[in-house]
Amino acid sequence: MVTIDNTKRDKAIDLLRSESDSKLVTHLNACVRCGLCADSCMYYLAMKEPKYIPSVKVNMVSSIYRKYCTFEGKIAPALVNAKKLDEEMAAEMVDLLFGACTMCGRCVKHCSIGVDIPFLVKKGREMLATMDLVPETLQSTVDAAVNTGNNMGIPTEEFVDTIKWMEEELTDEMQDERARIPLDEQDKELFYTLNPREPKFFPLSISAMAKIFYAANAEWTLSSKYYDVTNYGYFNANTKEATIIAENLYNEVHRLHGKRLILGECGHGSRANRWEGPNYLKKKYDFDTVTVVELIAEYIRSGKITLDKTLNKEIYTIHDPCNLVRNGGLMDEIRFVVKNAVENLVEMNPYGKDNFCCGGGGGALAMSEYNDRRLKIGKIKADQIAKTGAKVVITPCHNCVDQLTQLNHTYKLGVKIVTISEIVADALVINNK
Amino acid sequence: MDCSGCCALIASGICFLIFLARFIHLVRLGNPKDLSQKSGDTKKAVKYSFTEAMMPKNKESAYLHLPTYIAGILYHIGTFVTLISFVSFIVISFTKISIPYSVSLIVAIILAPAVISGISILIKRIFSKELSLLSGPDDYISNIVTTLAQLLTAIFLLLPEAGDIYFIVMTLFFLWLPFGKTRHLMYFFFARYHLGYFYGWRGTW
Repeated sequence: MVTIDNTKRDKAIDLLRSESDSKLVTHLNACVRCGLCADSCMYYLAMKEPKYIPSVKVNMVSSIYRKYCTFEGKIAPALVNAKKLDEEMAAEMVDLLFGACTMCGRCVKHCSIGVDIPFLVKKGREMLATMDLVPETLQSTVDAAVNTGNNMGIPTEEFVDTIKWMEEELTDEMQDERARIPLDEQDKELFYTLNPREPKFFPLSISAMAKIFYAANAEWTLSSKYYDVTNYGYFNANTKEATIIAENLYNEVHRLHGKRLILGECGHGSRANRWEGPNYLKKKYDFDTVTVVELIAEYIRSGKITLDKTLNKEIYTIHDPCNLVRNGGLMDEIRFVVKNAVENLVEMNPYGKDNFCCGGGGGALAMSEYNDRRLKIGKIKADQIAKTGAKVVITPCHNCVDQLTQLNHTYKLGVKIVTISEIVADALVINNK
Repeated sequence: MDCSGCCALIASGICFLIFLARFIHLVRLGNPKDLSQKSGDTKKAVKYSFTEAMMPKNKESAYLHLPTYIAGILYHIGTFVTLISFVSFIVISFTKISIPYSVSLIVAIILAPAVISGISILIKRIFSKELSLLSGPDDYISNIVTTLAQLLTAIFLLLPEAGDIYFIVMTLFFLWLPFGKTRHLMYFFFARYHLGYFYGWRGTW
């Protein structure tokens, strides 16, 4: 059971009274509890328990809204499903809104009404954040980002060492001193960002992207302090912390006079910076914000890089990160890049805008207390992958890579998980003479 | 028009005014003030949201649940017929026009499957483990009031002497409409709009 401070509870309820636009009040009033969203949710499909139906999650938030913010909820709460925000309700909200929703948005597309369910789940998370009820594991990830500049708390020295090491490897491989991984250089066209998992666990994906930049003759840089593309403040729904994280990156782009912010392969990081960042900071960005998928597509179209897809001969499939595809509009762009980089692509069923989440979204990977659920719902993705017969799964998101790697191990899929930059780097035709 | 008819007329007026006030409020609040750089075409996506995205082939809630989906469609057709019929009865009550029996019969026939659908949806809600967990009094009241309104409309069309009970049910229906989940009568359209706007802004649709 949780404890709630009354003042904070009132502040949480006030979030439901927000009238900045008509979206919140619309969605709070639109669900008819038909329950038809159940079959679109991985949690329900994997566990078949009614509490996992998306509309149950919606109803938690909207029943509080009705109780405190509507005439009918105040005078006849029992009649209109209006409920108090008490300790029991808050505990259920933590369990279901943090622990049983990846905010993938699959249910939205299939909702008979069109209720933006993850939008309401996030609103519920905001309420919980206001009451200091964010799961500790997720909060510690956000704290690390706020306090150290990256969500894994990697010390700058360690990061710089990794980058220097990768740079030496790249220079050796290309046999060209111009093949570099620039750090903290000013006035470069591209300000590139990483998921901290890259320097920590997957440094080869950094050199893969560096190789692409080298092939494209790009002017780019990384920051040694604020290179983290992620923003778990989006998932813990503490707007103040999300704003700090987004602002750190924004200010760093300005400090180094970057002209384009290139969002590394991270679904939620791309979403948090491309779509939410300007709204956190309450200003339009005065530089372009582009995902790495779009940048590579641009290089291919303009002829800045040449790919030989025969160099990638395996059978490949794509896992579509929810934040880049359903919530980011990059379905076709991802396919354009992949089809230029590999010979044999087999799609999952369903894929694209209908694709299932990997199961690690919504901050789930950071919340170890829900590991069992995360792996259980991931079976849906594992089965999808197995059915394709593919040997390699491509996904432009390190968060998804992490979850898919665990699914690969748990469900013995025997596949390789790679990012888009890795597969593109493998197909590069480099003429450095 | 007798007393029960006047009550229903007043209730419908109250209902209309509440919805009108909410409509104006929502329109005034307007679109999300998104400061990110737009990637797609919001107008096109809003249009898509109300058309193709609603097609059964594009929604699991439809193609995985065809009987429920069809029942839902029939039920909603019945609700709109009920509302149109009420307006017609009121207009006609101020004139000397009478509805031909053949027209009454056709409308009643249209309403019959709607009523059956409403009852079947109610039965499903009562007996389905998932739905009963989701449900509260609002869900049952909304269904019963709406189904009764459809049923009494059909009966009144064929048996004018059922006028009193018809208008009493319509009074309850109109008084419940803006407060129960039946208010999605209006919010549905705004939800579809926002859905299209969101996906359109980001270039998903």
